[in-house]
Amino acid sequence: MTVQEHLSRFEAVAKDPAGQLKGHLAQGRKVVLTAPVYTPEEIIYAMGLVPMGAWGGDMELRRSKEYFPAFLCSIVQSIVELGMAGAYEGASAIVIPSLCDSLKVLGQNWKYAVPSIPFIPMTWPQNRTPDYARDFILAGYERLIRDLEAATGAVFEEERLEEAIRVYNDHDRAMRELAKVLAAHPEVSAAQRSAVFKSAWFMDKAEHTAWVTELLAALREAVVGPKKLPVVTTGVLADAPGITALLDEYGFTVAADDVAAESRQYRTDTPEGGAPLERLARKFQAMDCCSVLYDPQKRQVEHIVRLAKDSGAKAVVMLLTKFCDPEEFDAPLIKKACDAAGLPMVQIEVDRQMVNYGQARTMLETLRDTLTA
Amino acid sequence: MYTLGIDIGSTTSKCAVLRDGAEKLAASLALGGIGTKGPAEALDGVLKDAGLALEDMAAVAATGYGRTRCEQAGMQASELTCHALGAHAAFPQVRTVVDIGGQDAKVISLVGEGRMRNFMMNDKCAAGTGRFLDVMASVLQIPLDELGSRAVRAESAAAVSSTCTVFAESEVISLLAGGVDMDALAAGICASVAGRTAALVKRLGVVPAVCMSGGVARNDGVRAALEAELGEPILVSPDAQLFGAVGAAIYAYKKAT
Repeated sequence: MTVQEHLSRFEAVAKDPAGQLKGHLAQGRKVVLTAPVYTPEEIIYAMGLVPMGAWGGDMELRRSKEYFPAFLCSIVQSIVELGMAGAYEGASAIVIPSLCDSLKVLGQNWKYAVPSIPFIPMTWPQNRTPDYARDFILAGYERLIRDLEAATGAVFEEERLEEAIRVYNDHDRAMRELAKVLAAHPEVSAAQRSAVFKSAWFMDKAEHTAWVTELLAALREAVVGPKKLPVVTTGVLADAPGITALLDEYGFTVAADDVAAESRQYRTDTPEGGAPLERLARKFQAMDCCSVLYDPQKRQVEHIVRLAKDSGAKAVVMLLTKFCDPEEFDAPLIKKACDAAGLPMVQIEVDRQMVNYGQARTMLETLRDTLTA
Repeated sequence: MYTLGIDIGSTTSKCAVLRDGAEKLAASLALGGIGTKGPAEALDGVLKDAGLALEDMAAVAATGYGRTRCEQAGMQASELTCHALGAHAAFPQVRTVVDIGGQDAKVISLVGEGRMRNFMMNDKCAAGTGRFLDVMASVLQIPLDELGSRAVRAESAAAVSSTCTVFAESEVISLLAGGVDMDALAAGICASVAGRTAALVKRLGVVPAVCMSGGVARNDGVRAALEAELGEPILVSPDAQLFGAVGAAIYAYKKAT
């Protein structure tokens, strides 16, 4: 298969999560939805269930307004909108973490808005690094396991978690390698790159790792395309077709990303040593550089600048999800750090209801002009 | 060499014809932006005034929100690029350009030779834009041009929200019902736009000299309030609304030579 044929496979999956859901169910597998931003998918996978990401979709929000005010994160609203429209029917449960206020509200309202799909909370500690936080995380896992067993009838066995952790660590490594290799292949469009990352949410991770490994092999043999303007993307999501199309139209290539739905997921492996659940808890404790992971040092800010420098990016494109408080609080700090580093940054406001990309077009076109003048 | 710049905005369309990328031969402005007869009228007007035909143009560049739908243009450039070029041509000493158009506000930071160093745009909201002034003039039932002159002669400014056009409209109606003086209301409305814009300018950094471009530059009330907010005098050209079109014509010249 050519690189383009490999990429087409990922695009087909990314565009059809409903088809993926049907496919898993047709194989007799039970599906558990996972809401943003971090859920311990390894536990779900270890129970023989398929975790499928539920990050909403680009659409007009109507029925979700029965539960939410207008000025609330549209990702959260679109998850409920899809749930109320029946898009997730067939799933056995949804796991919603407690990492921001909007997600807490999502869990509370899901119970009433989509009663056919049980809501399972995953309560993370805000102060995640102290030793006592590990006990809190473990207690959260125990609750999660009990709820999953009740909702799906599946049974948790710690030995099978070892294997699930291996599958997920392999996937993390493959995705990190992919991000690095894609940076050297500007002929892969921003839309195609986005599709590879997005498809990971809908596929069995072992299968996705196999696909990514095949893509990597094909990329190593491929002719590298003409140079483009390398940028780092940051934000919660970067999958809006209107945005990726503009990045491609104006000659940008994503040299690296700091996107919650993309590379932020794959930075931290589960460490070796100890009981598997405890290892998984230590993974969450080690995660960092994300707006929803509490950090008084705000290391994410320097992380983005370093990412840009290390990847040779000429600018940072911040895709700021409207009404996302954690991201909006950090945005001025990131802007300041980019300015100090002499790194141009554009902040494009995005949401799940976006139909007009005029302002984004102007910003990206102007960014290109400033970088090529 | 003649070049033509076409700036199709959200509420107006502007054109400029330059000779050798510098001398303005003709310019036009027509009401109505993208999706209206405005662009065609502006184009007819500028060619008639210049005594030239479209075929005489060595290059044509389009800018503004309607730039991607301009059939006559062989190239496009963002309005920030064009306003930067237009402002630099009018005021070579300018380092900060504040462009308040019908639908958005932009701040551009320039380096010495008129090259863009950085820029910032408002969020997706009508507050702090020309649309806000349109809505308020309509509420007050006065011509848009009168807002500025009333604001300048006001003894005090009424407090008007800069957060949201819809909220501010309700506020202004309440203030009218409360008998607040019309001039004070006009001053409050202009101050509201200036306050919102000043926040954007300060985020980018106020580097003198500062100039205004876009249609709102014609509003003396907004300009005076913005000067007070920024603590800097603001240069305004009678052609401020044409900076985008002039900049597009300069852009076309640069690309053609």
